[in-house]
Formats: sequence, C-alpha cells, structure tokens
Amino acid sequence: MSDSITAQGLEMRFPGCEALRGIDLTVPSGSVFALLGENGAGKTTLIRILTGFQSPTAGQCTVCGFDPSKDALEIRRRIGYVSDQPALYDWMRVDEIGWFTASFYPEGFLERYGESISHFEVPRNRKIKHLSKGQRAKVALALALAHDPELLILDEPTSGLDPHVRREFMESMVDRAVTGRTVLISSHQISEVERVADMVAIIHQGKVRLMDSMIHLKETVSEVTISLDDPLIALPRLTGTIEVLSEQSSGRQRRMVVRGFDQSAKELLEARPGVLNVRSRPASLEEVFIACTRGSVVAAVDDDRFGRTGKNSEGLQPSVSGGSHES
Amino acid sequence: MFFSINESNGVAIYEQIVRQVTFAIAEETFKVGQMLPSVRVLSVQLAINPNTVARAYQELQVDGVLEPLRGRGLVVCAGAIRRCKEIRRSVIAESLKEALTQALHGGLEADEIREIVHKQLNKLDGNVATVSSTVETSS
Repeated sequence: MSDSITAQGLEMRFPGCEALRGIDLTVPSGSVFALLGENGAGKTTLIRILTGFQSPTAGQCTVCGFDPSKDALEIRRRIGYVSDQPALYDWMRVDEIGWFTASFYPEGFLERYGESISHFEVPRNRKIKHLSKGQRAKVALALALAHDPELLILDEPTSGLDPHVRREFMESMVDRAVTGRTVLISSHQISEVERVADMVAIIHQGKVRLMDSMIHLKETVSEVTISLDDPLIALPRLTGTIEVLSEQSSGRQRRMVVRGFDQSAKELLEARPGVLNVRSRPASLEEVFIACTRGSVVAAVDDDRFGRTGKNSEGLQPSVSGGSHES
Repeated sequence: MFFSINESNGVAIYEQIVRQVTFAIAEETFKVGQMLPSVRVLSVQLAINPNTVARAYQELQVDGVLEPLRGRGLVVCAGAIRRCKEIRRSVIAESLKEALTQALHGGLEADEIREIVHKQLNKLDGNVATVSSTVETSS
C-alpha cells in the first residue's frame, strides 16, 4: 500500500458554514505530511472526518486502506491520534490510564507506554487532573504511540507548549518517520513544519490551495521584488507554468510570491519599459503560507462559485445548509 | 560535532548540513576515517526529517567527501580535507560575491568598495580566531 490517506472531493457543511469545500489529498505512506492553514480553515474538520468522528457531506476518503465511515474501528486500531485538547479521564492516574487504554489494544501496549512515560519524565502516580498542560500532552502522545501505529495524527499538538515539550514532540515525529511510519500533523508552528515535513498541504477556506513536497516547494517558489520607475506601470502577465500566489505593491515596488519563476520570466519582466530591477530569492515556507492564505482570496472564491453549481446538482447536499452559497 | 540548523535563513536544510560537515572536515573537527552519526541519530538529534539528512549524506558521497564503510556507516574519505577546503573556498567566495553585489546594487563605486574591503581586512587580519582554534579551545 503506497498511500496512507487518500481523499477525493471531501465536503463538509454545517448549518451556515462550509467547513470543507472539496478537499483532494494524498498522503504517501512513510511520509511526514503537514497540514497548514489558518484557524478555521478546516484542518480539524478534515482530521475528524479521517478518524471517523464525523461523516462528510460529500466525497470519499480512505485511511490505511479503510473507509472511515464504514470501518472507523479498524482505522482506530491502526492509528494514533493526539488532538489539541486531549480528552483524558481526569480522575485516573498516569499509570492507570495506560493500563485502561491497554485493554483495547494488543499486547505490548503497556510496556511501550511505560517506556514513553519514563522517557518523557511524567510522574506515574499523579492524577491526570494534577498534570501540567505539557505533561497531559505527553501522556496523550505516549498513549497514541504505545500500539506502534501505522499512522500518527497530530492536530496542533504543540500549541501552548514550552520549547522542551515541542522539541520532544518533534523528536517523536522524526522517530516515527525513521521507522517508516506515516505522520500527519496540523500545525501553526511553521518553522517546526519546515524542519520535519516531507510534504505540505496548505488549506485555505476549505480547499487545498497548494500541495507539494517540501523540497520541490522550496525549489520552485520564489519571492520576486520588482522596482519600477513609475508606480502605475502594468506588468506583463506571467503565463505558462508560472503561478502568482500573491502580489503586493508599495510605492514604486511590487512584490510577488511566484511558483515556477524562471530566467525567462525574469527576462520578460526586465524587458518591460519602466522596470528598473527584478530580484528573486527562494521564499520561506512562512512567506508561501501567507501568500496562499491571504493572496488572491477573491479570485479563489470566484473560481469556486463557478465550480460549485455542478457539484450541487449531484444531490448530496443536505437541505439544512443549502442555499446559503448559491444565493 | 554540533550542528545548528536555521530553518528560515534561505539556505535549504540539507545544504546547511552539507556545508557544516564540509567545513568541519576542512578544519579537521572531523578526521579522515571518522564515522558520521547515522541518519537516524542525526535526524532525531536535530529534530529534522530523516530524508533531509539522507539527502545531505548522499550529496556528500557524490562530492567524494564521505564513503560508506560496509555495514557500519559513513566515514570521511581519505583526501576529503583538500576537497572540503576547495568547497569551503567556493562557498565563501559565493557569499562575498553576494555582499559585493549588494554593495554595487546600492550604488557604491568599485573603488569605495575596495577601500571598505581593505580597511576591514586590515582590521580583522590576525585578530580573528580561526575556526579550528576556537574548536580546540572550546572542546
């Protein structure tokens, strides 16, 4: 099996809110896959669908080869999941919750849980309610890893945690990747993602705005600054394989984040009268993220409006949430 | 040796590892025949993707800096020091070129730049601890 997660056309509508508007995603086995997106972009909804906690309004997905809407239990046996606010039984002690959870999994769970707990230096006989936020997160991670899952899903696991705990989470992720397991992480810590991820998908307004391998992304996206002698000069349109992710102008300068910017595009811009200077440098992931999530919001919405009518006619949309978009 | 990775300085992470290993060999922190940490160890230690480390090691092998010791790991090749000194030289030349380009771009005349370079070089020459000497004192 080469893909750990696949999703085609996933849509999720809540009354008055379209959380996902057609997500297509492929997470190859053995990769560290990062989901980036603003708060409310739909990351958690997507993860909840993948883990079988929610059924999508439309679209299909598979996780470890199973369909979450039919075989949620099979999937849960194979994955580990840490949410941003792990739900743990407050009144249990750290060792008790391990013992309790172990009863749902095959042998070996408790030993591995014990090893992680010692490694993370969490006091075993303390009650969950008396743990710090970082310790709770570590317990949740230890539980999620103890059955050696094929796929580890982390939903903003490190938000609000100190650098030590964040580092330990990253080390655990890398450790999973080294042993060929798959990790899906949703995060706002772009610098962390930049270090550990093989693949990145940027989700914006319920759609995948960009999905690529980290290496390819870094090689192909550049930030281009153009100096002009007059702020009103119109620049030639960049066509072909070139995609302008965002464009800003400030006085006599334009700045663009461009995918696939090459020498010929540079020459095309330089040839335009009034263009004084064109400089490009590789964009950081943060710049790409900002460009994708702020950039051409209007254009993206418009595109979507056209694409949508067709999908609605398939009749998969519940009447509750209908209408809000087409009106 | 200690690596330091900066994920947002514009240099790809694998390239940072390549450079740091190369520089470490050039200044003989890594000796010929010494074994490098495994991909697994280094990736966990730096908390970076193992493929990134693997890619860096691969490139270092292609460059003729590292060679596999069958079944054990990667070691520094004989003759790597000279190769690494060359690479270091070209990396440094490249960053000087960048600084000079910036200066020219900013409108400085070549003579002004020469003056600055001379002045700074005279001031610094002999007063800068070389990398190998700092390594010795700090270890």
